[in-house]
Amino acid sequence: MLDNVPILSLITFAPLVGSLIVLLLPGQRSQWLRITAIAFTVIPLALTLWLFAAYEPSVGGAAYTEHETWLTIPLNKELLQGFESSQLRFDYHLTVDGISMPLVILTGIVSTMAALATVHIRKRWKTFYVLFLLLLTGIYGVFLSRDLVLFFIFFEVTLIPMFFLIGIWGYYGREKAATRFLVYNGLGSAAMLLSFLLLIATLGLSATDSQVIFSGNYDVLLANLTDPQAMANLTADQAGAAEFLLNDNMRWGAFVLLMIAFGIKVPIFPFHTWMLRVHTEAPPSIVMIHSGILLKMGVYGLIRFGAFLFPEQLHDWSTIIAILGVINILYGAIIACVQREFKLVLAYSSISHMGIVLLGIASLEEVGLQGAIYQSVSHGLISALLFLIVGSLYERTQTTQLDELGGLAKSMPFMSGILLVGGLASLGLPGLSGFVGEFLSFLGLFGSMKWITAIGVLGVLFAAIYVLRSILSITYGRTPEAFENMKDARFIEALPMIALAALIVLLGVYPSILTDLMQNGFNGLLEQLHTRVGG
Amino acid sequence: MTMLASYLTLAAVLFCVGLYGVLTKRNAIVVLLCIELMLNAVNLNLIAFSKYGVTPSLTGQIFSLFTMTVAAAEAAVGMAVLIVWYRNRATVNVDEFDELRG
Amino acid sequence: MSTSFAEYAWLVPVFPLAAFAILTAMGKGARKTGPWIGIIGTLASLVLSLCIAFERMTDNADDYSKSIEWLQVGSLKLSAGFEVTNLTSLMLVVVTLVSFLVNVYSQGYMRDDDRISTFFAYVALFTSSMLGLVLSDNLLTFYIFWELVGVCSFLLVGFWYHKPEAKAAAKKAFIVTRIGDLGLLIALLLLFWYMPDHALDFTTIHNVFSTPGGVISVGITTLIALLIFVGAVGKSGQFPLHTWLPDAMEGPTPISALIHAATMVAAGVFLVARTFPIFEASDAAMTTVAVIGAFTAIFAASIGLAQNDIKRILAYSTVSQLGYMMLALGVGSVSAAMFHLFTHAFFKALLFLGAGSVIHGAHTQDIREMGGLGKTMKITAWTFGIGALALSGIPPFAGFWSKDAILAAALDKNGILFAVGAIAAFFTALYMARLYFLVFAGKPKQDGHAHESPSVMTVPLIVLAILSVVAGFVDTPFKGWLGEWLTGEAPEHHGSGIVMVVSVAVGLLGIYIGWLVYVKGTVRRDAVSSRAPALVRTLERKYYIDELYDLLIVKPLRSFGKALQAFDDYIVDGVVRLAGYSTSALGRLNSRLQSGQVQTYALTALIGIVILALAIAGRRFW
Repeated sequence: MLDNVPILSLITFAPLVGSLIVLLLPGQRSQWLRITAIAFTVIPLALTLWLFAAYEPSVGGAAYTEHETWLTIPLNKELLQGFESSQLRFDYHLTVDGISMPLVILTGIVSTMAALATVHIRKRWKTFYVLFLLLLTGIYGVFLSRDLVLFFIFFEVTLIPMFFLIGIWGYYGREKAATRFLVYNGLGSAAMLLSFLLLIATLGLSATDSQVIFSGNYDVLLANLTDPQAMANLTADQAGAAEFLLNDNMRWGAFVLLMIAFGIKVPIFPFHTWMLRVHTEAPPSIVMIHSGILLKMGVYGLIRFGAFLFPEQLHDWSTIIAILGVINILYGAIIACVQREFKLVLAYSSISHMGIVLLGIASLEEVGLQGAIYQSVSHGLISALLFLIVGSLYERTQTTQLDELGGLAKSMPFMSGILLVGGLASLGLPGLSGFVGEFLSFLGLFGSMKWITAIGVLGVLFAAIYVLRSILSITYGRTPEAFENMKDARFIEALPMIALAALIVLLGVYPSILTDLMQNGFNGLLEQLHTRVGG
Repeated sequence: MTMLASYLTLAAVLFCVGLYGVLTKRNAIVVLLCIELMLNAVNLNLIAFSKYGVTPSLTGQIFSLFTMTVAAAEAAVGMAVLIVWYRNRATVNVDEFDELRG
Repeated sequence: MSTSFAEYAWLVPVFPLAAFAILTAMGKGARKTGPWIGIIGTLASLVLSLCIAFERMTDNADDYSKSIEWLQVGSLKLSAGFEVTNLTSLMLVVVTLVSFLVNVYSQGYMRDDDRISTFFAYVALFTSSMLGLVLSDNLLTFYIFWELVGVCSFLLVGFWYHKPEAKAAAKKAFIVTRIGDLGLLIALLLLFWYMPDHALDFTTIHNVFSTPGGVISVGITTLIALLIFVGAVGKSGQFPLHTWLPDAMEGPTPISALIHAATMVAAGVFLVARTFPIFEASDAAMTTVAVIGAFTAIFAASIGLAQNDIKRILAYSTVSQLGYMMLALGVGSVSAAMFHLFTHAFFKALLFLGAGSVIHGAHTQDIREMGGLGKTMKITAWTFGIGALALSGIPPFAGFWSKDAILAAALDKNGILFAVGAIAAFFTALYMARLYFLVFAGKPKQDGHAHESPSVMTVPLIVLAILSVVAGFVDTPFKGWLGEWLTGEAPEHHGSGIVMVVSVAVGLLGIYIGWLVYVKGTVRRDAVSSRAPALVRTLERKYYIDELYDLLIVKPLRSFGKALQAFDDYIVDGVVRLAGYSTSALGRLNSRLQSGQVQTYALTALIGIVILALAIAGRRFW
């Protein structure tokens, strides 16, 4: 039923349209602006759910592909004998498959919830919503695009709005946090660009009868990788053609650059400090997007480019990645145990949770990889929920210092209850979504690296410590007088809280809803691993 | 010494005198005059080559006319700037012209 | 075969779950109807469990199990299902019965609490999870419910959230048991990768490990067994992870009866019983279980001698009795362990509910401030007495038979284990005698406002008292069927004569000494504390275990966290700041060159040109 609808483009560009409409609205009407913005987050969400309903995991993403040539640049040089001309070609290529589908759904849900949470924004609504919606277009584009250049553009589109969203609407240290965000991610982008250029100039090679084409098309890259013979044939009797082949050193170079680029985003220790600032300084609704979705772009990039394009390199590095994952888990968790500020607890816990994702990726097993995606989605929902509550909490108490809070269960039983649910999900309680992701990741890695996994499992214990320590000191204990008469969540706040909590429970009780989507997502990679690395 | 060589030597001396003045003089007017000196050294070269060069032609002389015109215009603009500057700062000392300091 | 009740066993946990859902949806408003919803939910489960149990007793039916696919990843399938065996049906009855009685009791005990409906919702959720745990047919589902009961326990311990002690106790309960859960989780991962076909269901585990010279090496088997045992140690409050259980007494008393005496803490024992073939395949694991069990039994009992809080005494008693069960498992007798679990559930629930009734009447938990309550609280005193006798192992009460079975099994294996068990039994009798006489005998220390509890609280006491009397007869050495029914093997009864004499003797001796000290007064109360104050002090401080953990684990960990924090702030972030600083320093340095002196620029340019010219000229002559 979706055959004739360019649904992927609609999903991607609906927020952009919304952004333009917001531009046309008068800036003082905060209510109009808010409703428009929410509407244009709901539209892609609805489309995503429609896509979800129609998605057949067995067919994979093939059914939903939009592929047009976007721009071609003729190259004024005869590169290979026997071909009349050569050109550089960039495509407009969107596809959804088992790996991006869960993340697209996550984006739809979290962005809508974040839009609902923007009630705390108190100034310059118009600019805020324009940037907010622009950011969403970037995120959807990242998860859907299958052309390196297009991917890069969308990736950058997420950076700039984020910079302003942190820098204008954040808390006291907002400008520093924004700069730090931009510098780190800019470095990551530079590494990514370099790696992409390398890939386009080598693996991007394909030929028609008379033409040599260099393109950033992901499918071309993948095909050249899986069948290196075809490329070798093409360039076999050409003098100097070897420069178009990706030799081992270049492969390693490109791989390491990609690891750095996406490692900063995840973030992998020691590239994590920027993310702490963003967590503490950005406005809560933006942190929901940031922690809930943007970090997952790193995971997605690691899998989509790191794993799929460089299975051998990843295989060689799997121990290193697993160790980095364990460091992330324990380092984040132990530091989270001694924080005095709730937002920092959550920030360090994010580092810890992303470590589990790394373990899943390092396993190079289907269970682990699915676990990594599952954990990403689950962490996205959980941290969105927790920061949603932080936003509402801060609005009332004007503080998120743990020593200053306490006993809120008395005045705000509903929010305390939801906070507890979020915390329990975060510490990996079975029956809530956090457990499934953790369990699958551990299960996947345990097959190949028992000791590393066993050490990583310790993180679960620290998670219990920091979650209970912080949440109990917020909700339990004596209620300070100042907090006694505070109001519980309003309807507009309660709605996203209930929705997110319900999703967390749903994913915990019935994980098949997500794992079925990923059923065939990793087939290509696993095949590669078996044939090339030798299983 | 041929005629050309002596003209060129004179031009070189003139240019060096001008350059020395540009680099060392404090008074902006003197600096401006020294620039004129350098320009004139170039003019001298042009004319010398147009007369005694390998392929003598009028181009060099015409070119030197252009240069003089441009030099005059430049001197006018330069003087104007200096006058404005003097009105604001009451000085024409180039050491104090450091608005471009980083 | 026609449809049996066993096929509907999945409904047993569903009823309380539905009760939980309804109570949560109703919110705070349901103060009157809330308790009834909880009671009805557990009653439905109780009826169904009894039907299942009777069916199995009469028909001797086959085990029934059914599972659905929970999660499929590639070729790996993780399933969720339930299984009805004689063991699980026994546990179902125990859990639903105690839960039902506690529900009824709580209606009286919690009557004045603002959040009574929340309380009943938590209890319903706990009951549901516990029943799910009992019914699980594989280790993964078991683990899921295992964690859920843990979280319910946490919620209920911290039910009075405004009390700082309750907050600390809840946190401690969750974190300490989580240490054990880690062991279980790793065991689960190990099993998953070593079992043929990644099977995790108990039937396959049973088959694989029962085969001699099986597919899994002894080393791995021992490792798995020990890790599972770590889980059991955490949940069942065995040494060295026992510290949370006494603290958990900060929760409402009915919760102590339900969760921390009868059901959840016994889950560790149940887990070991359920995975018993793994333990049997490894001698080292069996020895560990037996030694830890025996040590915990005597260790906790000795602490119980010197405590003054009525609930804490009972808590240490619970730890000690769970040690007995572990001892039974360690010496290879599942039936004795389950038998003791069964009887203990009744008499310990009775004791806790009785203690609740006492607290309700006397408004204090310190036994030194009580006395003479036997006169005003007749029903409580009588039923409590029955429970105390059952715990002390005096025939014909239930505890005697089950403890006797354990001691007999221990003697069969190892004399030392038996001796330790017997001494622990003596301690048990002594601290119960002390507790009972201090609370119920003597003169009232208060102004006589202690009163008997309402019938909604005393009726459950009476029911449990009756059960504490009769429950032992299901498996006496003379005519027993429980052991055979549970394990399918004919029970072995041997050496019971000596064991019986010894156990009755130590029990009576303990009570007699207690009577001499606390009623008759022939021995002064401070007879021991005046002669060996250090010993008594050590017992009162629970061997300083909490302090030790604080010193050895909590404090170093906190300092380590602080150190890491500093590392993060100054080294990791410092490198970044340094990079940023050095970049801008370089920028400042370069901007110094930009003096704005046009003449300097021109001079520099001139020098540059000269150098270039020289270089070009020099190249000529090179």
